[in-house]
Amino acid sequence: MADKVKLFVNGQEVEVESGKNLIDAIGAVGIEIPHLCYHPALGADGNCRMCLVGIEDGRPPLVPACKTRAAEGMKVQLDTDKIKKIQRDIMELELINHPIDCPICDQAGECKLQDYYMKYDGQKSRMTVKPVLKAKKMDFGCGVVHDQERCVLCARCVRFTRLITKTGELGIVNRTDYARVNIFPGRPLANRYALNVVDLCPVGAMTSADFRFKQRSWFLTKSKGICRGCSKGCNIFIDHNREKYKDDVIYRFRPRLNEKVNGYFMCDAGRMTYKQENDNRLTVALLDGKETGLNEAVEALRRAVSQAKKIVCVISPNNSLEQMFAIQKFAANCNAAVSGYSDGYVIAGDGDDFLIQDDKSANRASFALLGIDASKAGFDAAVNGADLLICFQNDLSLSLTADALNALAGNCKLAYLGSNMDACAEKAAIALPVASATEDAGTLVNVDSILQQYAVAVVKNTPAFDMIHVVSQLGGEIKNCFEARAGLTAAVAALKGIDLEQVPGEGLALTVSEVPNVAA
Amino acid sequence: MSDRSQLIETGKPFAFDAQRDAEFERLAKRYPTRESLILPSLWLVQEQEGWISAEAMAYIADRIGTFATMVYEAATFYTMYNLQPKGKYHICVCRTLSCYLLGKQEIVDYLQRELGIKPGAVSADGQYSLEEVECLGHCGSAPVVQINGEFYEYMTVDKLKELLATLK
Repeated sequence: MADKVKLFVNGQEVEVESGKNLIDAIGAVGIEIPHLCYHPALGADGNCRMCLVGIEDGRPPLVPACKTRAAEGMKVQLDTDKIKKIQRDIMELELINHPIDCPICDQAGECKLQDYYMKYDGQKSRMTVKPVLKAKKMDFGCGVVHDQERCVLCARCVRFTRLITKTGELGIVNRTDYARVNIFPGRPLANRYALNVVDLCPVGAMTSADFRFKQRSWFLTKSKGICRGCSKGCNIFIDHNREKYKDDVIYRFRPRLNEKVNGYFMCDAGRMTYKQENDNRLTVALLDGKETGLNEAVEALRRAVSQAKKIVCVISPNNSLEQMFAIQKFAANCNAAVSGYSDGYVIAGDGDDFLIQDDKSANRASFALLGIDASKAGFDAAVNGADLLICFQNDLSLSLTADALNALAGNCKLAYLGSNMDACAEKAAIALPVASATEDAGTLVNVDSILQQYAVAVVKNTPAFDMIHVVSQLGGEIKNCFEARAGLTAAVAALKGIDLEQVPGEGLALTVSEVPNVAA
Repeated sequence: MSDRSQLIETGKPFAFDAQRDAEFERLAKRYPTRESLILPSLWLVQEQEGWISAEAMAYIADRIGTFATMVYEAATFYTMYNLQPKGKYHICVCRTLSCYLLGKQEIVDYLQRELGIKPGAVSADGQYSLEEVECLGHCGSAPVVQINGEFYEYMTVDKLKELLATLK
């Protein structure tokens, strides 16, 4: 824990962390200092002047809070008439050429300019001259759409491309009231994190082509989740909404701060994985490709399990730790071999040194914890002579060629439990729908051995059963997530002493055990 | 001042000629960081071509090893850089405080009428170009007009009339 210092805000004594700037330090105890250009990940720029505060200690009468460190005994003035006037003046300046098109602006509801106008300004416009007109709906590339007129020139986006992605596609060109953000002709945004500028933009200047005009932000329920686009496990907000007479639909993923995992950002590819949760879902049970009742299909699979001589359970590296454990127990009960073969989920060389990983699955690290073999050799040995192959969310079409998968489906009965109508589900003799990642709760271990949990975020009008429930109906001994967690802490060495019901929000760093648990 | 962000593309690649190339390399040793070369490089382009095209900015950026947007920012910020081909007589009128207060608008209005062009434009015959620029540093003798780099101080519409007559 960092050192604490005592200082005074508007005469009231507060205790804050030392070493931080005033915006962060005082903000942490719930006192807001308005700011547009400062962002913790991009540092203090001091260009917007919105965070000017008074400090009574003989220094110049006004200082930018973003560039001033909290110090013992500091007397910070936020509510003097002078500060209030400055805030009003800055707001008036920002709004001179602003189109004030909030009714058609995507940012409305989560716009700093809107919030600050209501809180710190509230005056009528005194402008009688024509505003400066600039370009609108500019295609900046990577799905970023820019409106120069809404921009407040805080340069967060510019600093993001220069400091974080180091690609520098954006700049502020011209000067005075003609200044605007632009790309260089013919050199649009071309980096894999570009959509972060949409989140960084405090106003509606940067919008996402994908999200534009889809939903008003105040209708969205912002649930916490974890991205499954790769093994990094970036923390996200799942923004979803159930419109009247419709189903609960996810409209976007946004990064959620976790200093230990992803910081403030996430990649564009991960952001778009929300589409898998909405589209091409497996919503009904299929028997040989024909729709059938869920109970009937479960019964068919149970019969197949009892009749089969050699069963193989193929676990997906996207299954949660609890699901893997439940499947492992089920497999042990019916003498089935277990494989986690999923080479197709890894794209070698695709990762970078920031967030994106080669492994496009969320929970491969749990294979090691549970001693699940994911090798091709192990898989080949397991399927040799098998007459029933059950894939649990594992889309084998990614790892096997179409011919190999067809041959496999010809040699043995292929069953599939999953949430999406992928190639594997299409080939399966029995396909059972289960809840998708955002409709289920569970635990993931990321590439850096950080254990994180997610809760149910989306509840569909007709919710699919979660995987563990379906597995228990097939004859698995574990009935739900809680039982799985109790079993995990008892059986897995690396999880000893961890209360899986009380995992902190920022995750738990596991000390990786050299001896993987093979007791199951 | 106007929007200078619409760059003109020539469709032809740009490169320094031998003399500017040597000068660029000489300057490169002078500065502690490569970014410092942006402003002098832009001058070199302007010396060579008379104006600065999008291709020239991209060339400078790649040559220096910086982002094209950094060059774009600098070139559009400073009004002394010509971002389009200029007229034979390039007329700059200072629009900053002293000149503003002492009647730069009358001069601009007169020139607009007389030459038939708005600030930022070039006349159809390529003879004149007009620009409103930021402070030229001659506040003591405002309002000031600059034609092809020459200063004309204490300007009035009458003096300008005489001056224009000599240019034709």
